[in-house]
Amino acid sequence: MPLAQELKPLEIDAYVDAVSLDAAVRALADGAGTPVAGGTDLWIQKDLGKRAYGRRLVNIRRVAALGGIAEEGGRIRIGALATMTEILESPLLLRAAPVLPATADRFASVQIRNAATVGGNIANASPAADMVLPLLCLDAEVELARWHENRIDRRRLPLAAFFAGPGKTRALPGELITAVSFDRPAAGSFGAFQKSGPRPALEIARVALCIAGRREGRRLTSVRIAAGAVAPTPIRCPRTEAEIEGVALDDAAIARALESLGREIAPIDDVRGSAWYRRHLAAAFLEEELGRVARS
Amino acid sequence: MNKVIPKHSFVGTRAVKLDAPDKATGRTRYINDLVLPRMLYAKIRRSERVHARILRVDTAKAKALPGVVAVITAADTPEIAIGVLKDNPPLKRDRVRTIRDEIAAVAAESEAICDEALRLIEVEYEDLPTVFDCTEALQPGAPVIHANRPDNIAMAHQFDHGDVAAAEAASDFVVEGAYNVHYVTHCNLGVSCCVADVDVEGRVTLYSQTQYPFIMKMDIAPSLGVHPGDLRVIQPPVGGAFGSKLDVYPYEPICVLLAQKTRRPVKLVFSREEEFVASPTRQPVEFRIRAGMKRDGTLTFRDVDTLLNNGGYTSWGATTPFVTMRTISSHYRVPHVRYRARAIYTNNPYAGSFRGYGNVQATWAVETHMDKMAEVAGLDPIAFRLKNANEPGDVTPQGARLANIDLKGCLRIAAEKSDFLRKWAAYRAGRAAPGRIKRGIGIAASLHNAGGAKIHKSDGCGTILKLDDYARATVITGGSEIGQGLDTVIAQLVADELGLALRDITVVMNDTATGPWDVGVHASRSTYIAGNSARRAARKARAMILDEAAKQANVGVAQLDLRAGFVVQADNGVAIVAIDKLLRQMHFAGEDAKLVMVTDYYEPPSENEDKNHVGDMSAAYSHAAHVAEIAVDTRTGEIKVETIWSVQDVGRIVNRNGIEGQIEGGIAMGLGYALSEELVIERGRVRNPSFRDYHVMTAPEMPKIDMTFLETGDAEGPAGAKGIAELPTIVIAPAVGNALYNATGVRIDHPPLAAEKVARAIWERAQRSTRAAP
Repeated sequence: MPLAQELKPLEIDAYVDAVSLDAAVRALADGAGTPVAGGTDLWIQKDLGKRAYGRRLVNIRRVAALGGIAEEGGRIRIGALATMTEILESPLLLRAAPVLPATADRFASVQIRNAATVGGNIANASPAADMVLPLLCLDAEVELARWHENRIDRRRLPLAAFFAGPGKTRALPGELITAVSFDRPAAGSFGAFQKSGPRPALEIARVALCIAGRREGRRLTSVRIAAGAVAPTPIRCPRTEAEIEGVALDDAAIARALESLGREIAPIDDVRGSAWYRRHLAAAFLEEELGRVARS
Repeated sequence: MNKVIPKHSFVGTRAVKLDAPDKATGRTRYINDLVLPRMLYAKIRRSERVHARILRVDTAKAKALPGVVAVITAADTPEIAIGVLKDNPPLKRDRVRTIRDEIAAVAAESEAICDEALRLIEVEYEDLPTVFDCTEALQPGAPVIHANRPDNIAMAHQFDHGDVAAAEAASDFVVEGAYNVHYVTHCNLGVSCCVADVDVEGRVTLYSQTQYPFIMKMDIAPSLGVHPGDLRVIQPPVGGAFGSKLDVYPYEPICVLLAQKTRRPVKLVFSREEEFVASPTRQPVEFRIRAGMKRDGTLTFRDVDTLLNNGGYTSWGATTPFVTMRTISSHYRVPHVRYRARAIYTNNPYAGSFRGYGNVQATWAVETHMDKMAEVAGLDPIAFRLKNANEPGDVTPQGARLANIDLKGCLRIAAEKSDFLRKWAAYRAGRAAPGRIKRGIGIAASLHNAGGAKIHKSDGCGTILKLDDYARATVITGGSEIGQGLDTVIAQLVADELGLALRDITVVMNDTATGPWDVGVHASRSTYIAGNSARRAARKARAMILDEAAKQANVGVAQLDLRAGFVVQADNGVAIVAIDKLLRQMHFAGEDAKLVMVTDYYEPPSENEDKNHVGDMSAAYSHAAHVAEIAVDTRTGEIKVETIWSVQDVGRIVNRNGIEGQIEGGIAMGLGYALSEELVIERGRVRNPSFRDYHVMTAPEMPKIDMTFLETGDAEGPAGAKGIAELPTIVIAPAVGNALYNATGVRIDHPPLAAEKVARAIWERAQRSTRAAP
């Protein structure tokens, strides 16, 4: 095959194969680099003309410090490079935060799960990002690093404060997501993820909902609710959480929670579904989860 | 010499498809893989407007880009047009009528350079008023899409039989219905592609995905200034066609024009997005049906009016009403029929031919309507259909002689195997019970031609067959292989006649320079027509071999048979002589030398329709009945199809693997039509041009499929076989729709039964009943 068929002129100036965090953040320092890991969103968006590469394409896949899923001092840290398959199969997460593997199980397809990373799912900032919802319910923080004044500058930001709009985050220019971390949920916690779509694979959520908390009979405490594809970013629903917190769940309490949810979400009409249907589904998901508790 | 060889038949077995090992191991070189020396790549600049005057096209910057070899527009090309009504210039001169319209094309050293060049082409438009809806396009004063058709009617057809008015007056019930079926597209995994190569004397070789190579020569060559005899069409392996390649589309002449201009081979490949936007769709049709019956459920008349959204140009899609007409007039006994069809020009993408060809739409409408009528008559869905079912020997209002059919058998077996009546009553009773998940069961049946369709002057196919000195047979057929399995069927039929193994047979096809004429792959005809021709050729070769063997052994031909590479005694299987040895004796016989080389041209015993649309246009007909059992989530509207019982009259099974593959694939395609597939077109623009948002069925969604084949044995078909390929796609959607009604009492007349649509219908009904409550 002639090379001309494959190479597009002047698309990037340089390709950097970073093997350390130091090298990666240096290559990204001027804000003109694009990090790539799984590439499952990036390449497709680039091909569709929805996202352009920076002048430098920085492959971070071989940066060991960005991988791994581990617990230290009661805090669980998932490296940015952890793939959906790694989350799905992690013994630690299956034990400590099974809602994450359960969500990974509904994520895209097996092939995409093998490549797609949690860092990428967060960085892509899709309103419909699946993995973001359980992380929001776990009060996760996103860990960031950049090259600043000749050293690696690190900071942590609540995930809930990280998204600025569809495809937009509050990361600084040159800043790289290194991990996402959260306190190990207390014993007896539960979490559930629901997503629309009859297709068991490769379904972009029309609506997704995650609920987490602790169950005490027919009451839920430490309630966390997150919803996807109902607003410009994945959102927490604090007023609905408060409505449910500590209340003995019955039909009337569930009806109040559904009403509150309806006020907190603001879905749109698009080719995947109408706003009406998104509201209808979000309510159905919450009703199903709360109903389970109410009937227990 | 005492070896005894039992009789063996490959027909009816599970034959491995001849090209499966290559495909499974990645050896197959698809047309998309083809690279020729000095080859250029081509891309098309398409319209951004749905209806506009082209004021200016400036290609200067594109031409100046390094690596660009040619840029063409209508100004550089002769006045030519393609399509059934010759209304579609490959490059548009002064006007665009749809979003996919071709304005310019680039040939360059790489696809990337093509993309860059396309961006550099400047086009200035002046928007024109648009129309997208059939009824609006028929209003006086509506925008006119083609000046020579000021009423926007591209084509109109009608059929009248008997006296509908009198039949209506004599009916106890008349049931009316409206069914609007939607846009879907083929979703071939191999995107549209062709390679054109012009030699120094101007002869053209076109590597094409076409399904009708011989007729295509006439459709495309003259418009390019090429004699049809100077156009060779080669069809390398393709990644699906399903009817989409039964016509010439603008990209093919454009590719040839670029090859003529550059004197280099040119390859043009669609992107996936282009495949969604710029390849044909199934026709969306608006049906209005009125049908009458006696109190006992006997049908009295059917009166059907249809509008087809033709889009901006006329492809073969505009002729699908001929097939719809057959269903309207001949599916169940209907003594009086009136049918009107009009294909309407709009600014939508244009529709083409697609597996099931007008019958998918017709069967949705007829079988949904039949279910409604059954309820009005107070009969269950099976009893009502059985009461009106065609019987062998029926001649339908359009003159189809249904000699060898078994609709009643299909219905009865489908009902028995699925335990239909018990479940149907139980699920209906379960509608009112509490619980979010409801179950339902539904049935539909369909009728399709199964022995070709004589729409051209000939519906024939030719074969050239030769045997070499090693008793290997080469079968050169006019039939095309597009993945449907004709190659293997031909090898099986020939192997049985010649007493050879499948691996002794080489099937050569897909090249107009070697293959004898054939109509093409359509109308479920390949096994029946090309198979018959191959079988007849093999019989001629067999006769030559047996004649020689009989002469040598001094016995009658009838006492001999060919088995496993030997001439044997027919009664006891004792081998007499190896076939290869005999062939060499025939070959090296001095002045009496004979090579076994034979030809055949098979013309099926069918008729063209007369001007009133009456004629027995197929050599055989067939039915299928499918039952779908589903679970519906009444909150989310999601339908899970759990089991399909498929009962199909197949004449006789030739390749069990092939027939199961056709039925599974047909059901997958039909379920997509029923549930999830819809090309969303808003104001002429395709809103979901990707597999992300256009949902074909995926493997985990497929139901359990229970297949029953009725082997009725067709007297004319090869080894008794009938054509089977389209029926499973045609029949399935209304079975699912009828199951939804059984489960919920909600009837959705306009597919697909997408989750949101189902949820909304169930919710709205609940709102109504809440309001109605005291």
